[in-house]
Amino acid sequence: MSGAALEGVFREASGRIVGALAARFRDLALAEDAFSEACARALKDWPAREVPADPAAWLYQVAVHAALDGLRRRQTHARFESQLSAEFDAQAAPEDDYTVIPDERLRLIFICCHPAVSDDARAALTLRLVCGLSTLEIARTFLVSETTMAQRLTRAKNKIADAGIPFELPAAQFWPERLDSVLATIEIAYSKAHEDAAGSGPHAHFAAEMLELTRTLVQLLPDEAEAAALAAMVRFAEARRPARIDGAGLMVPLSEQDPQCWQRSLIDEANGYLNRAAAVDSNSARVIQAQIHAAWCSRHTREAPPPWPQVLALYDALLYRRDDPVVRLNRVVAVAEVHGVQTALSQVESMDRELLRDFAPYHAVRADLLRRAGRREAAQRAYDEALATISSQAERQWLTRQRDLNLAPDS
Amino acid sequence: MQYALLIYEDEAIYGPGKKGSAIQEIVSRHMTFNRELGARRVGGAGLSATASATTIRTKGGKQSVHDGPYAESKEQLGGFYLIEAKDLDEAIAIAKKVPVLQDGSIEVRPVLGPG
Repeated sequence: MSGAALEGVFREASGRIVGALAARFRDLALAEDAFSEACARALKDWPAREVPADPAAWLYQVAVHAALDGLRRRQTHARFESQLSAEFDAQAAPEDDYTVIPDERLRLIFICCHPAVSDDARAALTLRLVCGLSTLEIARTFLVSETTMAQRLTRAKNKIADAGIPFELPAAQFWPERLDSVLATIEIAYSKAHEDAAGSGPHAHFAAEMLELTRTLVQLLPDEAEAAALAAMVRFAEARRPARIDGAGLMVPLSEQDPQCWQRSLIDEANGYLNRAAAVDSNSARVIQAQIHAAWCSRHTREAPPPWPQVLALYDALLYRRDDPVVRLNRVVAVAEVHGVQTALSQVESMDRELLRDFAPYHAVRADLLRRAGRREAAQRAYDEALATISSQAERQWLTRQRDLNLAPDS
Repeated sequence: MQYALLIYEDEAIYGPGKKGSAIQEIVSRHMTFNRELGARRVGGAGLSATASATTIRTKGGKQSVHDGPYAESKEQLGGFYLIEAKDLDEAIAIAKKVPVLQDGSIEVRPVLGPG
């Protein structure tokens, strides 16, 4: 088995094994260390001999024993835990069936996304423990050094252990708050993948992890509309990735994308999740967001009229559920198409400029509206502000072209 | 586990010396909360205003005594509970019920050592 294939096996087994170990030993650090040790053993043993028939079961068994060894080492420092040790020893009887790894990924996800964990660490921790991404990969995604990311992850794990964050699923009274934290975390993780329009940057295989993670979540929480809606959204967005960039590497806005380049199989899958979500709760914010994606993805050719009126109606509904600047800004784009540029522009100008200062889409939308209203100088400044806040290459190039078009005499 | 619930409020709302109707109201709400806590309450107390605080600072092995609280801030430590809870989720559920008169924050801190 090649190095890359081994890595694939480790990554796939990671969430399940770390989850099972964490649930069994109530110790995240111990679980992670034990799994790393099992992977290290595999790297040493497998190339020399035959790869085991069930690699995950092999890794799990080795990891359980590594965790027990880790516990025993600790107990030489803390004798009072000896009773606990006897209990764990009994649990690791030789007749243990390691081929069935208990699926504790949901508990693991809820632990990683606990609101008591700092929000900039939640997504990173989920990617590390549930998706099995390396610290370096996550660091690249979040544009920080590997050392910074390693420290962030360690701090989060220490917080979980020291503050007594439970290894249980949240009680009913916490459910809405905790589930929302989980879904928001996955949204952040996915938006990192989505920023890169070409999907060729550091986030290349990251989007695939998000497809897998959201599918798992729906499997584990079949009755949660918002979880299914999120799975739908991620798929709608991924389906459009091939059309998000043109031959010259420039970003293509949604309304100008060629629907024939969209991945139909992903759209079908997304619609399946959306129907499921809407059947449970058609009024939830994420369901409406997914419906907006669905409206766009119902086009089959570039000639089909863009669904602006439908999109505007959905944004009106969404605004009623979730009034925030991002929703307002997206709604304004639809307003411009349905009610005209001037109406849209006056709505943008009434938004809180200070609050949105570092939010690139605000400057980009504003620049576009100013340009279309014929206010070239103001548009020029807005394009510069947008460019100053944006990092994606394809979007920068597209904005630069828009800015230059603004200056051209015939625009 | 044991957790300390540290109560931060703007003490100005209780007036100088924490006397008067506002403090009476919050104290009576704490009494109700105490009854609700029952055996989960390990300890706790309300604190006099920070004007009565004295801080002993150690620097380079030398100690000095100062007037006032350790840190100047918009909300001040005004009291605390020591509670017994199964885990952080239970502690948070209890902390959410700690009465505050207007705005305020409850900091939840695990107590060091085997609780």
